[in-house]
Amino acid sequence: MLYSTFYLGDTQMAVPIPCILEIGRSFKFHPVRGAPEVIDGIINLRGKVVTIVNLGLAFEEIKIEPSDESRILIFKNNSELNEVADSDTVMETAPDNIGIHVDRISDVIRVESEELQAVPSNMVHPFYKNVVRRGDSFIIILEPSKILNLHETPDHLS
Amino acid sequence: MSEAKNIKFNIYNPIITYEHRAAYDMIVSHLQEIFPICNQGKCKALEVSDDPQKQKQINDLMEKVEFFSNSLITITKVFFDQLYRAKQTSSQSISQSTAMIKIDMIERNLLERTCDVRWWALEKAFWQCITLSNNSKSNGKAKSSTNSNNKALKEAVELACTRLEDIRNSYTLYRDLVIADTNGVIIANSNSDRRSKVIGMNVADEEWFKKALETKDGTEYFVQDVSDSKLEDMDALIYCTALRSNGDEQGDVIGAMGVLFDFQGESQIILNDYLPKDQNDQTLEGWFSFFTNKEGKVICSSDETFISSGEITDLPRNHRNLTKAGEAIVSTGSVCGNRSLIVSHKSKGFDEYKGLEWTSHLVLPESAMFERSDTNENFGISPQELMNSKLIPEKNQQTYREIQRNKGDIQLISINGIILATDLGKAGTSFIPIFDQITTTGNSTTGKMEELLSEMSSDMLEQNLKALENFSKQAVDLIDRNLFERAADVRWWSTDHAFWEALQEGSEENFEQAAKRLGIINASYTMYRDLVIADSNGRIVANSKSENRDKLKRMNVSEQSWFRQGMQISRSVQFGVQDVCDSELENEETSLIYCGGVLEEGQREGKVLGVLGIFFDWENLVFPILEGCLPRIKGEVVEGGAAFYVNDEHKVIATTDSENFKIGQVVKLPSENLNLDAGESASGIFTANEKKYIIGSSKTQGYREYQGLGWTAHVVRPID
Repeated sequence: MLYSTFYLGDTQMAVPIPCILEIGRSFKFHPVRGAPEVIDGIINLRGKVVTIVNLGLAFEEIKIEPSDESRILIFKNNSELNEVADSDTVMETAPDNIGIHVDRISDVIRVESEELQAVPSNMVHPFYKNVVRRGDSFIIILEPSKILNLHETPDHLS
Repeated sequence: MSEAKNIKFNIYNPIITYEHRAAYDMIVSHLQEIFPICNQGKCKALEVSDDPQKQKQINDLMEKVEFFSNSLITITKVFFDQLYRAKQTSSQSISQSTAMIKIDMIERNLLERTCDVRWWALEKAFWQCITLSNNSKSNGKAKSSTNSNNKALKEAVELACTRLEDIRNSYTLYRDLVIADTNGVIIANSNSDRRSKVIGMNVADEEWFKKALETKDGTEYFVQDVSDSKLEDMDALIYCTALRSNGDEQGDVIGAMGVLFDFQGESQIILNDYLPKDQNDQTLEGWFSFFTNKEGKVICSSDETFISSGEITDLPRNHRNLTKAGEAIVSTGSVCGNRSLIVSHKSKGFDEYKGLEWTSHLVLPESAMFERSDTNENFGISPQELMNSKLIPEKNQQTYREIQRNKGDIQLISINGIILATDLGKAGTSFIPIFDQITTTGNSTTGKMEELLSEMSSDMLEQNLKALENFSKQAVDLIDRNLFERAADVRWWSTDHAFWEALQEGSEENFEQAAKRLGIINASYTMYRDLVIADSNGRIVANSKSENRDKLKRMNVSEQSWFRQGMQISRSVQFGVQDVCDSELENEETSLIYCGGVLEEGQREGKVLGVLGIFFDWENLVFPILEGCLPRIKGEVVEGGAAFYVNDEHKVIATTDSENFKIGQVVKLPSENLNLDAGESASGIFTANEKKYIIGSSKTQGYREYQGLGWTAHVVRPID
């Protein structure tokens, strides 16, 4: 399967390409009063309202500020994901279109299923699904549904 | 990118290097390859999906790729122009500073000469000698000259010659010094090798002599621009003034004094400085430096074979006809068969001194502006940091950002294309290689452009470091030359009859006379705060400033370094100096004190009777020197630029930025800049006060017989 890779600080992460609807530059976010701090705001994507999660804050780290390099990965909602032709893998995102704000994007990589390794027990995290080795470095495969459904795990990092 | 229309350095310009032309071909041909790929993508969209919305999405993506590729092709054209323009601007600015440094250096020197001649003309041995000579001539006409008169005249001429020699020994900048009677007959000279030729020569028809006789009083002088004179075989630059009865500034004119400055020797040092040399210390081909006079004639040249003195050069007319003081012009043209950059800078004089309207010219091969240095040291600064630094012109930074943005856009389009292709399932897989190719091409072309920008930024760094090195060398050269003059002054003044007579006699009347004499010196030379005479016990017996007299008379200086050094002197060619420190003598003000031994009977060698101490007006004189050596862009000092001197313990002794580089502070600098050998220069990068600076440093090598005090000049500018 193809994965889109990106960086959060120095950590390279990846999500499956079929889950992504589109990748864009940092849009103008409309702030939402009362929304959790982890939400940068909402955007209008060709008529669709999309909530943007600041991935930096989702990991309780440093907030990602919009820059020339920062990007938004907008995920398909569950029904759009089901419509994707030839989708032979069971995947889930969220009922709504949600985007994540990342530091910068990198390459698209192809990962065979046998390359996916379990997350080592001492670095288990609710958002982590697998780890893939590429040369001397590692790429963490994220579980989009966990990031996109933060309300289901209010104490998400516990 | 409207600049595309005003491209000066297009890729066919012969100045563009082979490597850059190859890079241009590579970038453009790769970008051209994207268009057929996009067409292929548009056709495939029709094949793999019946959904018009999907087809439109793919078409839109392909058109966007085409748009950004076109944009990159335009940027590439402008890019090479900017690359070369940036190097040209920087190189021209540095060359202009170099031409200015040279004319400034010679003008400062000539200003000192104007002080010298006026003061020397008051010397007792000279006016006494001329008076006797004039008397003997009038007696001769009356046919009543006696043997005793002849003997007295002979002795007076011998003494005058000795005193002229003393001056020449103290100030090694002169080829000869002569005194003539009102008829223009040379009575005495300083250069014993030429004495038999010169004495008795009549110079009544020479301009300098006529003008000297016309001076109104002892404050006036005349300078005869470089020209023929019987006194010498080579062209001479002669400073002159009248000799007056009884050495009185307002007295009757009784003769003239002319001093022949070693203009060619001095100019050769200045002209050959700052020119790049090969391993054999020969100036590189195509580099010339020369001065022209107000008629546009060459008066001294770094290469007399190609650009000879006395000739009008084949420079463009506008370089020969500069009219305004301080005017500068830069252009390209052919000089000695080479395509060259020509920089001309007309003298603006110095302070009130107007100068002789000379112009300094610097010629270098046009290609030298664009040459890459062999060193390519990065000084631990990343190309990106350098690219965003203040060294890189805003226009080039904009291009860098535009390339980055286009690179980002192409990457984004490619990934979105892959997302779209994935959504099409198996049918979409044929798109993936197309988008991969777009990503690869986008990366390779923008990568190559980034590489070139990085090359440009490291070249700019190199050029700026070189410029700071030049400024630091100028700063140290100027102070060395200035202090050489002080060393010459103190040696000569120590031999003055008023001082040794006062110390020998020890009467109040003599001390009063010595103080008066010190006062006249201080009025002629503007760079001293005070001049004092101390007897052998260290008691101050006379000084130049009457307002300090009461305070100084009670003072004993026997423990002070300058006095102790002075008491060790036994020959008139020796001197001592006390490095910059807070002096008790001057209410703890920072002082630099030169001293000379006052010897018995004013002899060249003998017992020391006391010490002459001269207090250089350090702060007021050193600050303008440092300020003149600050880095500038289009005449304006670069924001945050600073220059400072450190002593041999690396402590700051003078600064233009007392906030960041304080007096007395030891600034943490790279070791290459700290541990220089005499005459060496270095450059580098360092951080101070949370700012990153580039720095050029030069250590003193002294000047002529003046050894220097081990100081180093540092010139810095912040880059972030």
